[in-house]
Amino acid sequence: MSFSLLPLLVLLSDVPVVPAHTGKDPAAFESSIKPLLTKSCYVCHNAQLKNADLNLQAFDTTEAVLADPDTWEKVVVKMKTRQMPPVGFPQPDEAEVRALTRWIEDEFQEAERRAPADPGRVTARRLNRAEYNNTLRDLLAVDLRPADDFPQDDSGYGFDNNGDVLSISPVLMEKYMRASEKVVRSALFGPGDLKPTMTKIQPPGPKIEPCTDVPAEYDLTGLTLHSALHAVHRFPVDGEYQVRVVLGGLRPAGSEPIDIAFAVDGAAPQILSLDPQDGASFYDDKQDFTGKYRDFKVRVTAGEHWLSAALPRYYEGLPARYGGKNPATRPVVKPEWKPRPNATPEQLEESKKRFAKRMEEAEKTPVNEGRIRHLEVVGPFDYPRGPSPKSLAAVFACGHAPGRHRDGCIAPTVGRFVRRAYRRPVQDAETAAVVALATRARAQGDSVEESVGLALQAVLVSPDFLFRIEKEPTAAAAAAGEPVTDHELASRLSYFLWASMPDAELLRLAAAGTLRKPEVLAAQVRRMLKDAKSQALVEGFGGQWLQFRGLESAAPDKERFPSFDNNLRLSMRRETELFFESVIREDRSLTDFIDGPYSFLNERLARHYGVPGVVGSEFRKVDLQGTRRSGVLTQGSVLTVSSYSTRTSPVLRGKWVLENFLAAPPPDPPAGTPRLDEAKIGADQSLRKQLEAHRSNQTCAACHSRMDPLGFGLENFDAIGAWRTEDGKYPVDAKGALPDGRAFDGPDEIKAILKGDRQEFAACVTEKLLTYALGRGLERYDRRTVRDIVDRVAARDYRFSALVLEIVSSMPFQMRRGERARS
Amino acid sequence: MNPITRKHLSRRTVLRGIGASVALPWLDAMRPAFASNRPPTVRLAFTYVPNGVTMADWTPKGTGKEFEFSRILKSLEPYRDDVMVLSGLAQHNGNALGDGPGDHARAGASFLTGVHCKKTAGADISNGISADQVAAQALAQETRLPSLELGCEESRTVGNCDSGYSCAYTNSISWRSATTPMPPEMNPRSAFERLFGADEGPMTPEARARRAARRLSVLDLVAERRQALEPTLGASDRRKLDEYFYGVREIERQIERAEKDQRDVTAPLEKPSGIPATFAEYVKLMFDLQVAAFQTDVTRISSLMIGREGSLQVYPEIGVPDSHHPLTHHRGTPELVEKVTKVNTFHAELFAHFVGRLKAVSEGDGTLLDNTMVVYGSALSDGDRHTHEDLPVLLVGRGGKAIKSGRHLVYPEKTPMTNLYLTLLDKMGVKEETIGDSTGRLQHLSDV
Repeated sequence: MSFSLLPLLVLLSDVPVVPAHTGKDPAAFESSIKPLLTKSCYVCHNAQLKNADLNLQAFDTTEAVLADPDTWEKVVVKMKTRQMPPVGFPQPDEAEVRALTRWIEDEFQEAERRAPADPGRVTARRLNRAEYNNTLRDLLAVDLRPADDFPQDDSGYGFDNNGDVLSISPVLMEKYMRASEKVVRSALFGPGDLKPTMTKIQPPGPKIEPCTDVPAEYDLTGLTLHSALHAVHRFPVDGEYQVRVVLGGLRPAGSEPIDIAFAVDGAAPQILSLDPQDGASFYDDKQDFTGKYRDFKVRVTAGEHWLSAALPRYYEGLPARYGGKNPATRPVVKPEWKPRPNATPEQLEESKKRFAKRMEEAEKTPVNEGRIRHLEVVGPFDYPRGPSPKSLAAVFACGHAPGRHRDGCIAPTVGRFVRRAYRRPVQDAETAAVVALATRARAQGDSVEESVGLALQAVLVSPDFLFRIEKEPTAAAAAAGEPVTDHELASRLSYFLWASMPDAELLRLAAAGTLRKPEVLAAQVRRMLKDAKSQALVEGFGGQWLQFRGLESAAPDKERFPSFDNNLRLSMRRETELFFESVIREDRSLTDFIDGPYSFLNERLARHYGVPGVVGSEFRKVDLQGTRRSGVLTQGSVLTVSSYSTRTSPVLRGKWVLENFLAAPPPDPPAGTPRLDEAKIGADQSLRKQLEAHRSNQTCAACHSRMDPLGFGLENFDAIGAWRTEDGKYPVDAKGALPDGRAFDGPDEIKAILKGDRQEFAACVTEKLLTYALGRGLERYDRRTVRDIVDRVAARDYRFSALVLEIVSSMPFQMRRGERARS
Repeated sequence: MNPITRKHLSRRTVLRGIGASVALPWLDAMRPAFASNRPPTVRLAFTYVPNGVTMADWTPKGTGKEFEFSRILKSLEPYRDDVMVLSGLAQHNGNALGDGPGDHARAGASFLTGVHCKKTAGADISNGISADQVAAQALAQETRLPSLELGCEESRTVGNCDSGYSCAYTNSISWRSATTPMPPEMNPRSAFERLFGADEGPMTPEARARRAARRLSVLDLVAERRQALEPTLGASDRRKLDEYFYGVREIERQIERAEKDQRDVTAPLEKPSGIPATFAEYVKLMFDLQVAAFQTDVTRISSLMIGREGSLQVYPEIGVPDSHHPLTHHRGTPELVEKVTKVNTFHAELFAHFVGRLKAVSEGDGTLLDNTMVVYGSALSDGDRHTHEDLPVLLVGRGGKAIKSGRHLVYPEKTPMTNLYLTLLDKMGVKEETIGDSTGRLQHLSDV
């Protein structure tokens, strides 16, 4: 029996009125099913007792059963997991359970098959933050990202592009007004006078255990050491910036000056030297880096860049007694004992003693405390003023130089902008209203650019821009739905794969009416996946499906995980991003997410994983055969976001797998569930033993017998994804078994099982990607679509592009149902 | 004031191009002048400098009216008639009193409170209410914001910052209650927005009206879309779009309300985009924000921490690349003492900018400075020895003619600084019995 479970949570909006037909084998209901129900279920679930408010006896006919899918789905689940009938009551045997559940499943499947196809409908949805930023970038060639200051978007069904939950408040409306003014000004007149500002970057540092031993071998670049600082910073415009690298910590007196290496995006670093003996210090018996700094000048492009500051050859230049390489040769100035004025002889004696002790301790000053504390980024200096030629070309079609536009330029310019911004053909009346706004401004004395700017602002706050509105099908077609227009299809495509507006080619094909042709669609999908803009799919879909967005707020406990630093956090995220990207670019099979034997590592991450032979901070593809890792489940990002800050949680990890790989999310725990006694964990029982309590209680076992084993299988990875064989004083026991009996020991065997159930996995990914593509939750009537897609994708080896193409060709993607008429 | 017949100008009229110029008269006339028959309101400001001061270069020679401005205070000489130097004040409760090290935390905590704070790095912090907050709570009804707290050095606010004392103590000088510090705002942009809303900055009435007209015409256009769109939408789509049109209408209402607003709360300075690139600009901007807040009467009480206690700020621009706190532990080394004096002088120069700005704003028949009382100082005098007496304190401004400025007063040793606060609160019309360790009012501020 396969590990196949219908999702426990199915949300229905409108329950379709099932026409009076029957399923596959309705006669069996009377002949074989009812007797089973009588024997095992009606005892409690009848009209009088109505246990759990459920009267199964009331379902008299097959039609009655088919009319209540929720209830009967629950029946299947309860029986399959042996929760029902409860212990102590006569239990049906295997064959009976199978017969009953199979009959129910088959009947519903048949009913679904026979039901009229329903493409569903997406509510008009506003552009979410990423979509808004990207659309402005593509429309005006201005990448100011004003939506980064907007309130966070709500999520529905796991994604923040869900039409039903995206709302607009007056606050947001105001922000749209200001953002449109700012962006249009920047496009037409340039970024304006940007006064240089200062931003302090101080990520929480790792905990350092002071140490006087010099390691025999260590990273000479300093980049992967605890003393380095890594951060990703968004620079507002191209230009020159000054980065002040500020240090902290102590070092033995007499050490040689150190070097500070600063690099952007892993390029060759700039190096400046610093002598902590220069300048004031708290101490005279050791070197003090507190507040000492060096300024670096860099020229960068606008956007995010990885900044790294490190102390190379960290353990060199120390006094000879520490035994490091290149010992210090500079003369050491020993501090003198200074007697305090007006001190008694006893006080003087005391003071001498304390001084001697201090000198003794200074000989043992730790050698690993110096580090980079924070960065101060100041800028921009020397940035390009004036509007970019790209922006002007995006707006004006007349070909005049800036400042040379004529009145005649207004109407065609505005008209073209409206068409592009509304992402569809526009009627003359619509354009006329906007043009009128511009001409009125012109009449009041504004320049042509200013007038055009006002019109552009209006377009950018109008509902046709902010919302993706699809036309309502006619009354006749309401129930069965209608194909969306070619332009609407182009928008669906581009917001799915690029989180942005359709480009010129898509719009051209839409206008020509050829976008829907299978070969054209396939070619477009291939083109769009290859385009750099598909990075939005990695960030938007990947970040929410695999939940690596959660890394930003992960806060592993410093005491227990002293090595966790920003470098590791950023590297984990980058690894998973690059992995997803490669699945798209190389069109790999979906099963690579389960056990693809490769990943993308830099030195920091490779050390963390114990993978040898990876040197340097650039990411490169690494073959993971023979290591204990493959696929996504054993990547640091997933392992960290599915843990608590102080320990692993097999429950969270099991839940992660169920939710994101198997589309079988467990429901919330019932109210009044007592918490796990955190203090006891690992004290007198291993975590595993304590979680056994989940299984002894039947109510808990229902869900936990599915969740916990999956998490146990991953217990060899600690809360930040490092391999371990012990958890505190208990050896890790990574064995588990699924409710259907299949056993495993360790992550590789779990992955083998998941891969064996690859259809389930593919169905899950399909559901998630379809949810993301449609911008609405999936309903019962979508199941058929999902099944068809999975079958076809399976036939194409589960290739990612196959999945995307199937989704894009599917009925719910290409069509739209009308609003139901209320009867 | 002439009664102006206000025609009801519909926006459509404006849109049809009769133009922004028509909007002008009613805005102008509605703006209040500071009528001279209103009593001037008194403002209270505090400026804190951390890690103490080189007292030998601070304390003026001579007392009374005939005193010589010291090296550190030289930049304030042009304002002699508005400046009082007060010597001999102390914060007794900044001393250890058996609690061991932690003078920086105790200094920060006691500066405006006169209280000996509880030694803890945890959540059970306990200090006392600060003088500025006593005033703010008493006068809360008078202004839109009760008080403004600003700072120029970002730091943690929890955990251990000084020998087992919580960072809350070094980070704030203002305390709403014994357990609630008022952490200062570091970002001038956020401070601006708190004071003046999300507005962009100073605009002539013409420019403001023009912008309002433009915004309204944009909103008008999109509101018109409703008629065309709605019939084509299904019910759930319509509901979504309803939210949108409600938002549009709300903004229109806001703009219309703002146009009718009697009070002129245009910001007198441009909205900052963030923390300025140089420290001097940063501090001056924070001073300018306080002036603007007082000028527009958004609040009457403010404080600025030029650095948090234990500040690590560096000053390469004046030839002091050393971090401030280690520098002040100079153990008497002359070169390092000299550097500390340079930093103190730099701070005083920045403060002089504040004084100058206050003096440049006319109010009634005098200036804003005449109606303000600013306390400048630290709760440490010798930063190397961590001394909490003979503190460096200035009192600048006349407090509405209540202070006889232009003198150097030397008080008996260990006079509580809180006595000064009691007296200042008096001048704000806030009568208190005691504050912290006060023993009475501070004499001679208003008389010779």
